[in-house]
Amino acid sequence: MSVEGKLALVTGSGRGIGRAIALKLASQGVDIIVNFFRRREAAEQTAKDVEALGVKAEIIRANVGDPVKLDEMFDTIAANFGRLDILINNAASGVGRSILDIDIKAWDWTMNINAKAPLLCAQRAAKLMERGGKIVNISSLGSSFVWPTYAVVGVSKAALEALTRYLAIELAPKGICVNGVAASAVDTEALKFYIKQGLVKDTRQATPAGRMVTPEDVANVVAFLCSEEAFMIRGQTVIVDGGTSVAPFIIS
Amino acid sequence: MSVEEQIKEIVANIVHVDKSVLTREGTFKDIKADSLDIVQALVAIEDKFDIEVPDEDAQKFQNFGDFIDYVEKRVAEKEKS
Repeated sequence: MSVEGKLALVTGSGRGIGRAIALKLASQGVDIIVNFFRRREAAEQTAKDVEALGVKAEIIRANVGDPVKLDEMFDTIAANFGRLDILINNAASGVGRSILDIDIKAWDWTMNINAKAPLLCAQRAAKLMERGGKIVNISSLGSSFVWPTYAVVGVSKAALEALTRYLAIELAPKGICVNGVAASAVDTEALKFYIKQGLVKDTRQATPAGRMVTPEDVANVVAFLCSEEAFMIRGQTVIVDGGTSVAPFIIS
Repeated sequence: MSVEEQIKEIVANIVHVDKSVLTREGTFKDIKADSLDIVQALVAIEDKFDIEVPDEDAQKFQNFGDFIDYVEKRVAEKEKS
């Protein structure tokens, strides 16, 4: 069964991995709701590129870390479409601090966007998935491995992966497949910043697969998890890292 | 309440300072606001006045006065349209 004609909400799809996922799904005939928070121009560009692939795009601005705004976003989706087939919980934020410098505000901000919002989005989405659906949560290897100043984000991603398992089981009777994708450091502007700051080693040449993970690599796996071929995969978080995590000693 | 007073109230609540310390010449740095405070204040002000403040514009503000003038201008534009 093809995903053609389905409707997907991709949170945080103005830039980076979210944008790549939106375009990948659009290339398979999926209509896309582009959610963004800070960069309207980027979201408009994603929507334009989605439409160029021959499907529909709608832009909704919402800070998913704010439950009121999140509800408003789903009210709009319910009013305009009356259904949702695919939810990609991609929007993420974080405060880069060492563990002793994490205050309550930084913790709440990060957990609200990276862990609470995916739960609330899944709850609202499930009600719009009367004919079944797919939910994919975007995690990171920081859930299992330690990166400098990544503590609160890493913890939030670990929560997201646990949430993925619970959602998968509890939503299974509704015909909703839930999985996750965890990428290692993806070749984005954000990574270049970390390397420049000396917080992360430049491992771009040391990945066993021979190159860095790109947003498109992540999007390809997300698209597979949204397909019927992935029907029997439930509650898993698939690692996309070019082999880095199973061969950590190569990287030095 | 004027736009200026409303902005001061929002910032004061988020950064936990008294409104009286917020002067037009003052900055977020002066009141020891961190990057998260600034984002939260920006978002709260956007929500309050139903405007969007692009990051590119936000980076140009030298002090609260610049910020207040910008928001007042955007609110006036919105009312006109």
